[in-house]
Amino acid sequence: MWWEEVRGRERGELRAGRFQAAARARRAASLALSNSKEFATPHHGAVNSLQVDLTEGRYLLSGASDGSAAVFDAWNATECQSGFIAKHKHILLVDKQHQNGHRFTISAALWYPVDTGLFVTASFDQFVKVWDTNSTQVIMDFKMPGKVFAAAMSPIATTHMLIATGSADVQVRLCDIASGAFTHTLSGHRDGIMSLEWSASSEWILMSGGCDGAIRFWDIRRAGCFRVLDQSQSQLGRRPPLLKSTTENDHIDSLGPSTSTRSLAQKRTGNSKKNSPTLRKSQKLTHGPMQQRLHPGLSSSQNRATSHYGAVTGLRTTKDGMYLLSSGSDSRLRLWDIDSGCNTLVNFEAMRLQTGKPLQLAVTDDPSIVFVPCMASIKAYNIWSGTTFRTFRGHYELVNCCYYREQDQELYTGSNDRQILVWSPSTPAFTEMEDDEKRHGLSAADEDNWSD
Amino acid sequence: MTEPSSSYSLSSKKRPRSPNDNGEHPLDRDQICPSLEDNLTFNDTMIALQLMRTQFPKLEKVVVQPFILQSQLYSSVKDRTQVDRDLESFKKDKVLRIFKLSSGQDDHAIMFLDDYLKQVAFAIKRSGGKEQDGSEVFDWFEKYVIPSKLDVSINQLQLCSLLSQGGDVTDKHITLLMNAGLLTRQLIDPNIYWFSIPRIGPILKGLSQGRKEILSLLNRKKYKGMLLSSLEKTKLRLSPLDTRFLIRDLIGSGQIKTVQTPTGLLARITRD
Repeated sequence: MWWEEVRGRERGELRAGRFQAAARARRAASLALSNSKEFATPHHGAVNSLQVDLTEGRYLLSGASDGSAAVFDAWNATECQSGFIAKHKHILLVDKQHQNGHRFTISAALWYPVDTGLFVTASFDQFVKVWDTNSTQVIMDFKMPGKVFAAAMSPIATTHMLIATGSADVQVRLCDIASGAFTHTLSGHRDGIMSLEWSASSEWILMSGGCDGAIRFWDIRRAGCFRVLDQSQSQLGRRPPLLKSTTENDHIDSLGPSTSTRSLAQKRTGNSKKNSPTLRKSQKLTHGPMQQRLHPGLSSSQNRATSHYGAVTGLRTTKDGMYLLSSGSDSRLRLWDIDSGCNTLVNFEAMRLQTGKPLQLAVTDDPSIVFVPCMASIKAYNIWSGTTFRTFRGHYELVNCCYYREQDQELYTGSNDRQILVWSPSTPAFTEMEDDEKRHGLSAADEDNWSD
Repeated sequence: MTEPSSSYSLSSKKRPRSPNDNGEHPLDRDQICPSLEDNLTFNDTMIALQLMRTQFPKLEKVVVQPFILQSQLYSSVKDRTQVDRDLESFKKDKVLRIFKLSSGQDDHAIMFLDDYLKQVAFAIKRSGGKEQDGSEVFDWFEKYVIPSKLDVSINQLQLCSLLSQGGDVTDKHITLLMNAGLLTRQLIDPNIYWFSIPRIGPILKGLSQGRKEILSLLNRKKYKGMLLSSLEKTKLRLSPLDTRFLIRDLIGSGQIKTVQTPTGLLARITRD
């Protein structure tokens, strides 16, 4: 009951943080196609990527298949139609006509995390361009060896300004805006890379999902990836069980080194991740020609663990940095516990996902709902139980990307039908009275002095 | 080969479709078999598994120990996450094994361990028996590989190291295992062998044919749907499998959804 919560806050029974969280959850639960706001998209191609800037949460950047990128103001409308629907037109548009614009599809468009003065676009014409927002000029571009599918910048980076880019080539390249050169090349994947995501808890950790079905964790201060997520490593429950015995200890240790120095003292080969503790002894006895002694922090490219039976098309971490969601072309969505590297076995109900394109997933900040573009609709799932919470149907064609803006609890979605739709919390016509037995069945307008 | 006739009286919910059936009174069958609608969902994974195991369709030409498809399990237990977690703990307790099938993406089959061992023994007998050269590999497989490797797949190195606990392993041994149908390769990764249930080829074919047939049957209807009770009674032309088996599988994989109507459950093709 909403008014009960307000009363509780007034009296001091409910703390401010809780009140806020309850309000947000309530609003997020009532999302529907917005009847007060719309974007007039100038794109002539499918909308592939959406992002709202991280500093203010005001400007929406979208990238489309016709090589155009547009910026919209999500707060203030440019015009109001008959005082009801606020239309937001684009403030900025760069397209093929632009002197240095992209020639083919823009697959990713992202803001510079520190301020809105720069944005980065990555395209199938093998270029990654950095633009100055105010002058709408290309400041820098990076040539990649293949079509660029994904680009990401760390939202919490203070010491570096690296753009991680993944292309059809097997290596992840990190481009530095400060110097204009490639600083890192991360090898390990066996096929192209479709999705990239920086960790929300450390500015040095990058996660990449490839077309070979593997998700690799890279610490850019060291060489090589330190973890590969394996779908057969699983834990029952949100967090790994507390260690009870030494064998359990060994098993969990073999999953992946924690970043503590303890891992340096233990010897492990790349293949030992799949062995149970009793087998590790026999493994060491029979030395095959393919086993190499590796630095214990490395996970070699021989580790062929897959996290999906197909390509990994989308990655998203929760804001607290503890969980990672991955969507694959085997039409499954998996929730991983980042700390232990295990599959939490949450089964998100049957969905069909697009297979050829990278998808953009969205999670609410208190991680409770995950939004997934499924064919022509967006499905919202409860993140811990996997049940379908809501299906948003409104687009005419396949949906590619979605972005959830936490400040106003609005969801923006872009699809192949060239539209960006806004889904906002629906306000009921009169105040809610769900569980109120007294006013059950009567609307506020019908009440009078004799109603009971 | 010889199916005990007690299986017909064992579970009244069985409705086999083989021609041997024609002798039964249709009236009895309707009375004693509750329809799929009444028994669609359960709360416990193990109960659902055992019930579906008894409902496994019996074919007259092929003898196969019962197995359950994972999609069928999803359609019959409400909470899918709980199903996954229960399966994982049963797998670790070595009560059952999970196999990845090559028919379609993400198809898995669940089989109880003793059924699997019986099937393996049957397959070994059919593929040439114990008199072959190198047939000790079957014993090694059963003794060393099955109990210790609980996943759906195994890579070359591990396979060799596990088998070599019994003796020297050569390529011939692995060929024997593959000929018997215990290991297969799939297109995903050339270095990995996948565990498989031997001798279920006709059933997999029946599965894919049956799925196509049911979906095309529903697609031809005007509103792409049909009452579940009448769907269950249709006899499939191309597939020898039970309609109920296939319906559960399609519901679980999300291609058919059931809608409650005043006249019962309606099965409809999902549109997204």
